[in-house]
Amino acid sequence: MSNVLEVQSLHVDFHLHGGYVQAVQDVSFHIKEGETLGLVGESGCGKSVTSLALVRLLSKTARVTGKVLYKGRDLLQVSGPELRRVRGGEVSMIFQEPMTSLNPVYKIGAQISEALRLHDKVSPRAAFARSLEMLRKVGIARPEEIMHAYPHQLSGGMRQRVMIAIAMVCSPSLLIADEPTTALDVTIQAQILELMKMLSQDFGTSVLLITHDLGVVAETCDRVAVMYAGNIVEQGNVEDIFASPEHPYTQGLLKAIPKIDSVVKERLQPIEGTVPTPARMPAGCRFAPRCALVQPGCRLERPSLYTVGDEHVARCFLHDRKEVAQ
Amino acid sequence: MLKYTLRRIIEAIPTVLGVTLLSFVLIHIVPGSPVRILLGNHYTPYRAELLSRTLGLNKPLPVQYFTWLGNLLHGNFGYSYTYDKPVVSLMLQALPHTIIIVVVAVLAAHVFAVFLGSVQAYFENTKFDQIVTVINYFFYSMPTFWLAVLLIIFFSIDLNWFPSGGIVNTQLASPSFGDWAKHLVLPIAALFLVSVAGWARYMRSSMREALLQDYVRTARMKGAKEFRVIFVHALRNSILPLITLLGLSLPALLSGALFVEEVFNYPGMGLLYWDAVNSRDYPIIMGITVFVGLVTVIGNLIADLLYGLIDPRIQYT
Ligand SMILES: Nc1ncnc2c1ncn2[C@@H]1O[C@H](COP(=O)(O)OP(=O)(O)OP(=O)(O)O)[C@@H](O)[C@H]1O
Ligand SMILES: [Mg+2]
Repeated sequence: MSNVLEVQSLHVDFHLHGGYVQAVQDVSFHIKEGETLGLVGESGCGKSVTSLALVRLLSKTARVTGKVLYKGRDLLQVSGPELRRVRGGEVSMIFQEPMTSLNPVYKIGAQISEALRLHDKVSPRAAFARSLEMLRKVGIARPEEIMHAYPHQLSGGMRQRVMIAIAMVCSPSLLIADEPTTALDVTIQAQILELMKMLSQDFGTSVLLITHDLGVVAETCDRVAVMYAGNIVEQGNVEDIFASPEHPYTQGLLKAIPKIDSVVKERLQPIEGTVPTPARMPAGCRFAPRCALVQPGCRLERPSLYTVGDEHVARCFLHDRKEVAQ
Repeated sequence: MLKYTLRRIIEAIPTVLGVTLLSFVLIHIVPGSPVRILLGNHYTPYRAELLSRTLGLNKPLPVQYFTWLGNLLHGNFGYSYTYDKPVVSLMLQALPHTIIIVVVAVLAAHVFAVFLGSVQAYFENTKFDQIVTVINYFFYSMPTFWLAVLLIIFFSIDLNWFPSGGIVNTQLASPSFGDWAKHLVLPIAALFLVSVAGWARYMRSSMREALLQDYVRTARMKGAKEFRVIFVHALRNSILPLITLLGLSLPALLSGALFVEEVFNYPGMGLLYWDAVNSRDYPIIMGITVFVGLVTVIGNLIADLLYGLIDPRIQYT
């Protein structure tokens, strides 16, 4: 199977107070056709920055280097018109904040049809019909009415469904969903995830699902990349990562998930400490200050990604006798 | 919405009355009496007494005010002291001249300021933005009458492109439309320039804010061009504060028109007011005060209604 997206050594620096701070460093991953890749990590580790960098949606203060190969074309190099053809048409995105992501002064119908009309030559009437159809597909009751509603008349869950309709209306090959359920009620979260799963299967869309919830990853993803402080620290198939996490950070994250089916009520063990901000990165391994298994060498040098299994890599000196991954 | 409009108008009545009272008190505090000015060289105490009596100026001030108010409620603005004509007919004569320069200047300035401020916000902190900001400050801080004088010096005296005052060339037997239009250019330009500067600054900050919003990112994600992102998605949101400003700025513009009309000797409401103040022609001063009060109320009302049209979150009840 070929790769829809291949990210090679992505770096993002922000121009700040006359200097640069590194938000994302040497991030590489790929997504195969029809596959869902989870990108997990604590708040502030650079998930949103990574996802926005892929389609060049970061502010002008960001400096992005590396390669973002979408079906072989480097999105960081393509011209403006070509980038706009890809955005929305082939690569779509859903954001973390459904409450503010829709334009408050335009009707829902207009906002969905706009996405269509920017890419396909369709009449206003046909665009309206297809938008209505899309609203129905994202499970909105009374779609005819909602077409004429304004965003402020909708709940958060409805707005996120509308965002999904906007993102999927052109049947993109890749959907980037940046914590699409974080802002929603728990009961709505499951419905939205189910909807995304169903639509991406129907449309054959590959998904990059960003989340800080490993439970969500277990249910929806094929593979997972774990991010910590701007780096990917572990990557592999979901089963492998859950069965044998090789990086102390991943191990810590897994210990922090509540197990509903466990007989004995285990105490959750959150990882001590906080994610370092880009301006105050530790010199060696970025996780060293919080790591239970830290060695003196960890604070001096930064580990590479080592191959720890089939399609499974980890950025930790515990595995430094193994091969360095590409 | 009709109910809302009516309620707003009724609520405004006390404000307008308050303004007339204030204005009445102020014109009587200012030294100088209309009688003295009207009589000029023919002044004698006897004649002054007689004229005071005819004009009703010998009565106590509260009586004068309530007499005036009573007449106003019957739609009677009174008689001008100096022109010997009803105030209403003088105002109606001057009004179209003021309306044309104010309306053209307001509309042109608004459209241009919205465009300029948006582009400035988009190119925030570039050389372009900095240069435009400096130019804006220059016009913003310049007194209106001084700007009007400068325009006359450059375009009328030095270049001789436009006439320096009036509304038609009195030397011509039958002044043409073109001649009239030529007389409008400099007064409109003066009002335009002083308005654009302030509004463009508001627009710049409002658009700056809008461009940082999440829905702008959504528009880009859909594949919209930058032009569309700015002028379709961000504009409609960022223009809202400017509409309120438009309502508030109408009276300010009328006072701007006052200086401009005076400098250009342009026979509009401003010049009428100016002359009335100089000759202490109380009925005209009070009449124009009522008019400006009404314009302010109506301006704000129109702004609020427009706001509701543009922002679907606003409901009028
Ligand atoms: N425009 C910017 N300028 C400077 N620093 C930024 C900018 N945007 C993000 N950052 C920094 O980059 C780091 C990563 O932020 P990012 O938003 O990607 O985190 P995240 O993993 O998405 O977190 P969350 O789960 O809270 O959404 C943060 O430390 C943040 O402060
Ligand atoms: Mg985020």
